[in-house]
Amino acid sequence: MPKLRVEIMTATLPADTILSVRDLKTWFVSKRATAKAVDGVTFDLKRGKTLAVVGESGSGKSVTSLSIMGLLAKPGRIAGGEVLFRDRAEQVHDLAQFAPKQFRAIRGREIAMIFQEPMTSLNPLYTVGDQIGEMIALHSDVGRQGARAKALEMLKHVEIPDAARRLDEYPHQMSGGMRQRVMIAMALSCNPSLLIADEPTTALDVTIQAQILDLLQRLQAQFGMSILFITHNLGVVAEVAHDVVVMYGGRVVEQAPVNALFAHQTHPYTKGLLACTPDATRDLGTDGARRALYSIPGSVPPITNLPPGCAFEPRCSMAVDACRTGLPPLIPAGPETFSRCIRSHEL
Amino acid sequence: MTQPMDETPLLSVRGLTKHFVGRNGRTVHAVEDVSFDIRRGTTVGLVGESGSGKTTAGRSILRLVEPSGGQAIFDGTDIFALNPREMKDWRKRLQIVFQDPYSSLNPRMRIDAIIGEALDARGYPRGAKRRERIAELLTLVGLPPEYSRRFPHEFSGGQRQRIGIARALAVEPDFIVADEPVSALDVSVQAQVLNLLGDLQQKLGLTMLFIAHDLSVVEYLCDEVVVMYLGRVMERGPSRQVYAQPRHPYTKALLATAPVPDPTRKRTHVPLQGDIPSPINPPSGCVFRTRCPVAIDACAQTIPPVDHIGGNHHVACIRHGEL
Repeated sequence: MPKLRVEIMTATLPADTILSVRDLKTWFVSKRATAKAVDGVTFDLKRGKTLAVVGESGSGKSVTSLSIMGLLAKPGRIAGGEVLFRDRAEQVHDLAQFAPKQFRAIRGREIAMIFQEPMTSLNPLYTVGDQIGEMIALHSDVGRQGARAKALEMLKHVEIPDAARRLDEYPHQMSGGMRQRVMIAMALSCNPSLLIADEPTTALDVTIQAQILDLLQRLQAQFGMSILFITHNLGVVAEVAHDVVVMYGGRVVEQAPVNALFAHQTHPYTKGLLACTPDATRDLGTDGARRALYSIPGSVPPITNLPPGCAFEPRCSMAVDACRTGLPPLIPAGPETFSRCIRSHEL
Repeated sequence: MTQPMDETPLLSVRGLTKHFVGRNGRTVHAVEDVSFDIRRGTTVGLVGESGSGKTTAGRSILRLVEPSGGQAIFDGTDIFALNPREMKDWRKRLQIVFQDPYSSLNPRMRIDAIIGEALDARGYPRGAKRRERIAELLTLVGLPPEYSRRFPHEFSGGQRQRIGIARALAVEPDFIVADEPVSALDVSVQAQVLNLLGDLQQKLGLTMLFIAHDLSVVEYLCDEVVVMYLGRVMERGPSRQVYAQPRHPYTKALLATAPVPDPTRKRTHVPLQGDIPSPINPPSGCVFRTRCPVAIDACAQTIPPVDHIGGNHHVACIRHGEL
């Protein structure tokens, strides 16, 4: 067993760490199969920083965030591990052990979440002012007028033009970008110390995406919240993240600071993901001739039927017999960099 | 300037317009006066954000929605002027690949039936020859022919998109509209499908209209690019030229805001404020002026003409000369 793992399991939460997920296992058990959607995920989020969790469909990135928030749908349940969270009073809680009732004191006030599709997260029958106000009223004792005033203030923080008028509008009267701003206003209205953003710009156009990413970064500088940013888009990761966790098949396959990750990948999956995004300077010759794009053969395996060894092994060009026999451990592969590949030193 | 068109275009779209009239009498100006050419054997990319009219333009060209005006001269014939029966014959030459490989394949039909349906439309006889053709098509798109008796749910997203491509190719079309064919796929699978489309185009000499919002995909795959905003063409030209030297403020903004997988090349500012306006009541003059960083009063007065600025490069901005 590598040294790293032992350290993590025995250390208490360092002072600069707001969230520490340790060997988290989230399983969906049915009569027919057990889907280990998250299988032994470990990472730390530092105070005031952004940690991006990257992965494709079925990687377990969204289930990880739902597990942290206690929002798992049945039959999903946390089967093991810890989710250590430091609240504003410097108390450390293990959210993995929380009962649904206990989450009410944490959700909204300490940890807030925004989702991919703002339309389905907003109630179409209430004005946005009412919805933000409800959140504020629930978590503080400012009264109706106070909640409305605070809601207006939040709409201004998220740079919604003509905020006073927008307060009395319904979600359907707004564009996708505006609705995501409303969601962010609502999430930040109780000044949470941790914001979980699950693909917050995936449904938006690039020019709007750029606005929302800028807004999130500005608000982070202003309010100092830490962000757990779930995405599949490596371009977005490069823009917002300080640290990156790459997931595949419910496990972390690589973990590194953002600059290190993009400069040098220590897992063949991460390397492949970057190589198969078209890049004209690399993939087009000077005469405009197209070179075939690098592609990862096959497709993401179903989570109920992962290979016994490395989950990426069937698609990996570097796979050797040893990859098939046992699950490779997450090993140090550089400064602050970890890789779940036994051949990482060859990359 | 010096490069003349080496061939007459297979498809010339002229003044394509599509208006949807709602029950309340309000008109949605989805596509407005769009013109471009596609040369034989080349790929033109149609890019824009949601609401730009790119999908409606693509479907109008195939008359999957009836265009409100304009012409589409396909191999010498204006297909907008054909009656439905004549159009039916032409459809064999014009096919489409849809975005969502989950909803575009009937879940209750086996793969051979899905592809066979397209062969029926061509009057392909039943029997051994038909099975051979289906096997040949599956092989062409990189699927084992023995998968022909399976149902769509047994395939991954990337494999389904291959089936969608095989169905489009079944009638041996000259021209394919690919409407965001990879945007529903995982990143690691997108490259496979893009490579397949590139290979097929070379092998079969296909002409393609590739609709996408992902600029890097279009730059990679397309010979020429048409940039649309709120139903109108902002800029069009050879991909290399448009990407290297964008002349329209909207194209510049799009290229500047696309996230790049390189943290050392971070964007420094957001050039575009606000949202795309409603196509029910588009701005007067230039439709982009409400978000344009360099708009002046004159931009509200007239619809900017699509100016030819050398090569095959066109731009619709009254200030393109001074900026």
